[in-house]
Amino acid sequence: MRQLLRAVIFGILGYLIGAALTWLIRGGSMGDEVCVVFGYILGLIGWLFGIGMGDTWVREWFGLPARKYEVTGWKRYLGFSTDHKVIGVQYLATFIVVLLLGGVAAMIIRFELAQAGEGILNADRYNQVMSMHGILMVAVAVAAILGSFGNYLVPIMIGADDMAFPRLNAVTFWLIPPVAIGLLAAPTLGSFDAGWTAYPPLSVVNNGGQILFVLAVTTFGLSSILGGLNVITTIVTMRAPGMTWGRLPIFVWGAFSASLISLLTTQFFAASLILIAMDRVAGTVFFNGGAGGDPLLYQHLFWFYSHPAVYVMVLPGFGAVLETITHMSRKPLFAYKAVVVSFLSIAGLSVIVWAHHMFTSGMAEYLHGPFMFASEMISVPTGMVFLSAVATLWRGKLWMKTPLFFAMIWIFQFLMGGVTGIFLADVVTDVSLHDSYFVVAHFHYTIMGGMLFAFLTGIFFWFPKITGRMINDRLGIIFALWLTIAFQLTFLPQFWLGTNGMNRRIADYPEQLEGANLMSSISAFILGSSFILFVYILLSGAIRGPKAGGNPWNASTLEWQVSSPPPEHNFSGQPTVVGHPYGYGTAGSRHAEFADVTVAAAPPEQPGTDQGGDHE
Amino acid sequence: MDQQRRNDWILFGSFWAVFSVVGFYLVLGIDLLPAQWAHEAEVVDDAYILLMGLSIPIFAGVAAALLTSLIRFRVKVEGQPTEDGPPVHNNRNFVRLWIASTLMLALMITVNPGFIGIAELRGEPSADIVVEVQAQRWSWKVNYENGAETFNQLYLPADRRVRFDITSLDLVHSFWIPGFRVKIDAVPGRVTHLYVTPEGVGSFEDDFNLRVQCAEICGLGHAQMAMPVTVLEPADFDAWVSDLAEGA
Ligand code: HEM
Ligand SMILES: [Cu+2]
Ligand SMILES: [Cu+2]
Repeated sequence: MRQLLRAVIFGILGYLIGAALTWLIRGGSMGDEVCVVFGYILGLIGWLFGIGMGDTWVREWFGLPARKYEVTGWKRYLGFSTDHKVIGVQYLATFIVVLLLGGVAAMIIRFELAQAGEGILNADRYNQVMSMHGILMVAVAVAAILGSFGNYLVPIMIGADDMAFPRLNAVTFWLIPPVAIGLLAAPTLGSFDAGWTAYPPLSVVNNGGQILFVLAVTTFGLSSILGGLNVITTIVTMRAPGMTWGRLPIFVWGAFSASLISLLTTQFFAASLILIAMDRVAGTVFFNGGAGGDPLLYQHLFWFYSHPAVYVMVLPGFGAVLETITHMSRKPLFAYKAVVVSFLSIAGLSVIVWAHHMFTSGMAEYLHGPFMFASEMISVPTGMVFLSAVATLWRGKLWMKTPLFFAMIWIFQFLMGGVTGIFLADVVTDVSLHDSYFVVAHFHYTIMGGMLFAFLTGIFFWFPKITGRMINDRLGIIFALWLTIAFQLTFLPQFWLGTNGMNRRIADYPEQLEGANLMSSISAFILGSSFILFVYILLSGAIRGPKAGGNPWNASTLEWQVSSPPPEHNFSGQPTVVGHPYGYGTAGSRHAEFADVTVAAAPPEQPGTDQGGDHE
Repeated sequence: MDQQRRNDWILFGSFWAVFSVVGFYLVLGIDLLPAQWAHEAEVVDDAYILLMGLSIPIFAGVAAALLTSLIRFRVKVEGQPTEDGPPVHNNRNFVRLWIASTLMLALMITVNPGFIGIAELRGEPSADIVVEVQAQRWSWKVNYENGAETFNQLYLPADRRVRFDITSLDLVHSFWIPGFRVKIDAVPGRVTHLYVTPEGVGSFEDDFNLRVQCAEICGLGHAQMAMPVTVLEPADFDAWVSDLAEGA
């Protein structure tokens, strides 16, 4: 608490000093964008220093001992904790809040679009709310699964006691609040209105709030890069004895491949945003077509990150869903090795398809064919993931609790997203569909269907582990069905709208399109209201749900072999991994052993027979 | 294969067949695509329908597998689960077959409607007339070959191949005619090209998709940045355009 207060004060002071110094040096007014830039930078440093970097790193740089605060209980969640489980919960709570905020913006958007003509928002406000919705949701999609479950579970799943760089991990999380504050403060300078993609020249000439977008999103990128670095290092160096690469739980592979992408491509987005900032405040003309710059340069840089980013969103989701499916249907994950190869090839292919977002941008036409070809090729590894999910279910013993419901719905949703992606990757159809509502529907099926449904799957699957309690399963299933049905009714009409002449990012549309829009809006309100139930399920489960015990699903991986929630350093002794993580159906199969007791799930019917458990 | 497993597959097959039939019926039965006003619209729509046709059985197959699993494989669990599924870790041949078929399918789509479609859509870079378009927040200016100029109005001859030379004076805009199914961005500092052969005589009054709509967000007036398109008989167009040039 004290740290948080100090961070706020240092942040504000930093901002004021930065802005005031700039103002003193160059004149003008304190509200000028240059002053905001330097204010933000010093403010960010002040914030990080105040929240705890000063007590640890900075003191050690000067040869002083690090200062420690003994905080316990819920107060840990409000301070600079280096415990990966605390950080995981911090991410989880933060991004659920951001998700709900973005959801409120979505409701406002759909309210405006329910009827043709101007409603509650004028065109300017509309563009601002739409842009805010977009960037908040993209942030949720990029960081929610990796930040929460990546932090909470990866170390436990590989038998480690924490992440490789616990302090860096804390910094990675504490970079997020300034991002949220920066974005939400944008309206004070006139909010940004260029969409989450922020194409120049619009993003160079629009309201001052765009500079806060640039600063906040660059900070977010920094957090992604550091997080990716930490996850990769942890998986490479901290695995328990016997945890070979071939025995990693599939979620760990998902987190690993997504982190590879974050670590290696986020810089491109940051660079392009910094160029925008320079065009805005330093008078450069990188993207000014009239002065010899090139707007298309931005689009290439932007998509070089932002296509791979969609796989940062879904690869951990793939992991969470496959993990849930294999445990809840009590069958080994089908074709584990092929799935791992698919994850890695998706990560590899994702960096050579970016220009499929640019088929109508005016870029050279000889580039269209190769990028189309590369994009279609991604469907091969993605298809492998579908095969694994469905074949694992096939002839399993499906325990239809909320998490498995969500996982199966996920298959359907993401398939819809993937199949419509083919239409967009095909140059001929994309020339018609690009920047229409078809794209809007597509990425809601992929991101909301593919990432958010996987996030929900993970939340319900690991809820007992994190809170030690069970949710009300009947309500969970009602929520799943409510959400899914409303989702279809909201987004299916948008495909039709796109093919029938509705372009995206508009506050108003031809009145001939009113029927489908009204349907989409009403369904969207039904969809949105389901989240009230969601919050209720989580809160009531966490407060007075029945006790879960260590392993309520009787699952085999390491996180289920410790208490719920896990003890401070996860394991009392060092676990040794002796077999495949998913030994279901093989008598006596074991994943791991602790010093003396064997704790991994043995198949319940014939305990005792020992065959060792590696697969194939 | 025992009876049990045979029944699983029979149920799966029936669902697959039913879903596919329903899917085809819906896609062909519902008017998914608006009226075509250009040769290019036919190329694009053919590609769209072909991709739809390929997607439906894939989609139906996965949906059938999910539903079959839900019906046949769910178990009642009291307390903790007491049995496991069969220990199938892999089925090499099936995986190989799957990868081969998805790869084949992806390659097929890349060729047609991919490369073949591109060739049909773009055709030869030759045109009967050239129309210059200039975008500026939030309006369009159109120049015809003989010096005629219109503002927020586009007139075109039917059955002649038109080349648009498009540019922008300020931001990135996008020149989209939904009735023609084609679009290309208007980029400051560049001239982009688009070829279209309008088919059929009509105007915005007949179909609201006979309009040029800006499709790239450009601020306040983005939604309203549209102009009606009128397609005339070639002779009428010639008369119209020379009248306009003389009047100017
Ligand atoms: C399975 C294969 C996929 C293919 C072939 C595919 C293809 C495409 C293509 C070609 C576009 C550009 C459409 C256009 O603007 O004209 C697009 C847009 C988009 N896709 Fe996908 N996609 C796939 C999966 C995904 C996934 C997994 C996600 C996210 C998790 C995603 C998120 C998006 C987003 C956000 C956009 C819109 C970007 C924007 O313009 O704002 N896609 N997709
Ligand atoms: Cu992409
Ligand atoms: Cu425009």
